Amino acid sequence: MVNPKGITASLYVTCIVDQLYPQVGVSVVNVLRKLGVHVEFPVDQSCCGQPLFNSGYVSQARELALRVIESFKDSEYIVVPSGSCAAMFREFYPGLFESDPKLHKLAQDFSKKVYEFSEFLVEVLNVNQVKSSSDGLHTFHTSCHMLRELGVKNQPLSLLEGVQGIQTVDLPHRDVCCGFGGTFSVKYPHISEAMLSDKVDNVLSTSCDILVSCDMSCLMNIGGALTRNKSEIKVKHLAEILDEESS
Amino acid sequence: MKNLGTPKDIFLESIRDCLGKNEGQPVIQRGNLSQSTWELQQLSEDLRLSLNKDIDGLTTKLSATAEARGWNVHHPVNMEGILDVISEITKKWGSTDITRTDQEVFYEYSIDSGLSNLGCKITTIARTDLQEDRIRLREDIISSGIGITGADYAVAETGSVVILPRKGLSRLVSVVPPVHIALVRKQDILRSLDDVFLLRRLDYHLGNDMGSYLNFITGPSRTADIEQTIVIGVHGPKEVHMLLLD
Amino acid sequence: MAEIKTKNFLASSQMAIKDPQLRQALEKVGTGFDGARREAIEEISEAKWEEWRLKAREIKEHTIENLDYYLDMLYTNVTKAGGHVHFARDDNEANAIVSKLVEANNIQIATKSKSMVSEELGLNGVLESLGVDVYETDLGEYIIQLAGETPSHLVAPALHKTKGQVASLFQDKLGIPYNEDIEAMAKTAREILRDKFLNADLGISGANFLVAETGSLVIITNEGNGRLCTSAPRIHIGITGMEKVIPSLEDLATFLRLLPRSATGQRLTSYVSIVTGPRRVTDEDGPEQFHLIIVDNGRSKMLADPKLREALYCIRCGACLNICPVYQKVGGHAYGWVYPGPIGSIVTPNLTVLQNAKDLPFASSLCGACREACPIKINIPRMLLNLREELVQPNSNANSTSKFSEDIAAKSYTKLMKHPGILKLGTMILTGLQKPFLKGGVISSVPIPPLSIWTRSRDLPKLPDKTFHQIWKDSLKDNQDNNG
Repeated sequence: MVNPKGITASLYVTCIVDQLYPQVGVSVVNVLRKLGVHVEFPVDQSCCGQPLFNSGYVSQARELALRVIESFKDSEYIVVPSGSCAAMFREFYPGLFESDPKLHKLAQDFSKKVYEFSEFLVEVLNVNQVKSSSDGLHTFHTSCHMLRELGVKNQPLSLLEGVQGIQTVDLPHRDVCCGFGGTFSVKYPHISEAMLSDKVDNVLSTSCDILVSCDMSCLMNIGGALTRNKSEIKVKHLAEILDEESS
Repeated sequence: MKNLGTPKDIFLESIRDCLGKNEGQPVIQRGNLSQSTWELQQLSEDLRLSLNKDIDGLTTKLSATAEARGWNVHHPVNMEGILDVISEITKKWGSTDITRTDQEVFYEYSIDSGLSNLGCKITTIARTDLQEDRIRLREDIISSGIGITGADYAVAETGSVVILPRKGLSRLVSVVPPVHIALVRKQDILRSLDDVFLLRRLDYHLGNDMGSYLNFITGPSRTADIEQTIVIGVHGPKEVHMLLLD
Repeated sequence: MAEIKTKNFLASSQMAIKDPQLRQALEKVGTGFDGARREAIEEISEAKWEEWRLKAREIKEHTIENLDYYLDMLYTNVTKAGGHVHFARDDNEANAIVSKLVEANNIQIATKSKSMVSEELGLNGVLESLGVDVYETDLGEYIIQLAGETPSHLVAPALHKTKGQVASLFQDKLGIPYNEDIEAMAKTAREILRDKFLNADLGISGANFLVAETGSLVIITNEGNGRLCTSAPRIHIGITGMEKVIPSLEDLATFLRLLPRSATGQRLTSYVSIVTGPRRVTDEDGPEQFHLIIVDNGRSKMLADPKLREALYCIRCGACLNICPVYQKVGGHAYGWVYPGPIGSIVTPNLTVLQNAKDLPFASSLCGACREACPIKINIPRMLLNLREELVQPNSNANSTSKFSEDIAAKSYTKLMKHPGILKLGTMILTGLQKPFLKGGVISSVPIPPLSIWTRSRDLPKLPDKTFHQIWKDSLKDNQDNNG
């Protein structure tokens, strides 16, 4: 495929993908390249600061934010395979620097370049179908920050439906939180576990083979409970699905 | 230390402190509070004209919303029809003790003699200044099985009957007896809540009293306080009837 | 002031989750009220709903920004209608005003319709100490008064009880045979309370709204108890928070559309009563005196903070509770004070002591469902974040060993993340260290917190051989545009 627009995208890979699920990052790169996008990866990128920000450590989050903004200062588009980290960039970064007009402007300019992965495909590349195929019955979990901070709702679903010959099933209560919530999951584990248990029940009720989402943190949470419950259901990032092609 | 004066002054001064404001700082008026009486009059006249053109449509809409909110809606065509409806209700409830308010609608439709002929005992709310009369009146209302009122307005949007307090109208007639019957004249049907409030505001702006109690009744009394299960008829009426009169 | 148990959140919420009867009672929260709310919105269309929400928010913003002006206007117009307005800065002042009225008017029996502010003030206890017989008359409030409990929900105070529990309570306290038929229980309450309404000297109500232009108090009810409380006794006292005022009756129309739909999915409640002053000489009945007590009791703190000010836009519909996955699990009592759920986690720490309620702002996964359900679009998650920030600031008094270690952790995390070199080294060490814990390709138990907490009920993925950074450097980078 050619790249008529000559688009270059910088990948913000996220900590969890970098450290735990690098294959998701590889898939993001593969899919973007398949669509003709030139991919860059600023190697000195750091955590977005959300774990600190959500715990109230705003000044520390600010330090990391400045670092991220600096890493991506030359980027045209910043693609993030996580609704949650993308929300941190887009919805919360500018607010971190409200008292400093110069930095505030910098953060605002930065935030305008940020797109969640599925959103980038649909809204920027105008792609609704990626040549790919995936076996088995799929269901989709909507992550909270992607839906309610970014307002990204239908984009991942339409991309999933666009996969050749795909079988999908609706996840009941798809948009209810899985109970992760970052430090919430270890600060109030009993509540987090109770929420997770509902999510797992809903996933199991679909009899799906693969649970798809756009946030590996949710999938680490739900997937961890699925394997613990001896379930065979696999969890995959949407990018992994779009990266698969039958030979 | 500033001498702040009354509790009200102190309270309001504290609020201004919180908001970072000074006393007497001008308020940017929102649209509707700066309306003049003349504007409200114009709006009310327009409203009346448009309502009069659509009495049938409003009646249909009101019937539908009122039914959905739990009213039993009746369309009696004449005096006989009204008495038939009431008579059915008295039979169903085995109750012939009726209290009614003293509102204009009962001069147009004088139901008393007809109901007496059916064997009903009718107590009419009539104003009295004597304390013992008022106590007796209250006891009569309590022992009544059916309360009948008119309506100042009915609201098609919500299926509500609106009653304004005044001479001849007890607040209790529509809430204490287990059955409430409201007589609604079709020309009193308004389209929406906005209409009610526009008319009430105009009246208030014209210097009339707001009245101590403006009550919207939308269906029977109900609760969902135990296991979110709806039960009809808690402290107010279990059954409500709306009679739409031409 | 009502007893504050916010410090116990962790223990109370743990107990709540283990309580099978509470589980059963809470099961319907998501489907019942919230399901009805969604249906009601669907009926009128999302677009219309959004239009009403924006209008309501605009009214609230305007009124709160000019609160002094509208309270002054309200005062003038209540007074003009023959009522009395009292201003109370805190619970002591409010309770003293009520006490004085009780004594001056020789009050023996008081009936109350639902008022969350009176719960804040602990008013029932004050009235009882004056020898007044106080009866809560809302069915849910009546139940919890009998049980000696506090409300667990803004709209349905006895939501935490199953019908079986209510039946046992009625059997114990009222001496009637056990009968868990809900209709029969409602009938029992009607019969018992009917007499109280008619013999009470004093009726106490809250207010859903106060209308400045006409000096009116608005209450929105379903049972009819509110009408009886405000009509039958010779004195009516309305007690409410200062944020309840709105400019005009026309503004009220918007809120009448939003509140019942958000609370229970009803298009309108059975009753909306607009009280303006006491009975007029020409009225047949109604109270001889009308008193309105406007309470601050800590609301100023939220008013003074532009970041928290919008908490005062709340109309107490309970939609954020019903949709909240945390509330659905722990119920209202775990929150430890009058206002539970997401909005409670903002209001309670501000009306009580923030440092003692420090668990509440953190007891949220920040999923944002509350903001989506809120008819006034109150940004609850954002305010929770603001309170978290306030709590971890170096000068914060929330000092504890856990805060100390969290501070250290936050600093180290920042340092680590700013220096990818150290991070890389750490990852390599961890990748080596994970080997003893690997079982079937996942890590199912780690003896060190917080990972040990995580692995209580979920596995951790195995650390991969290479991070994405390494893969990029080793193979991915050079393949650029080869697929083209």
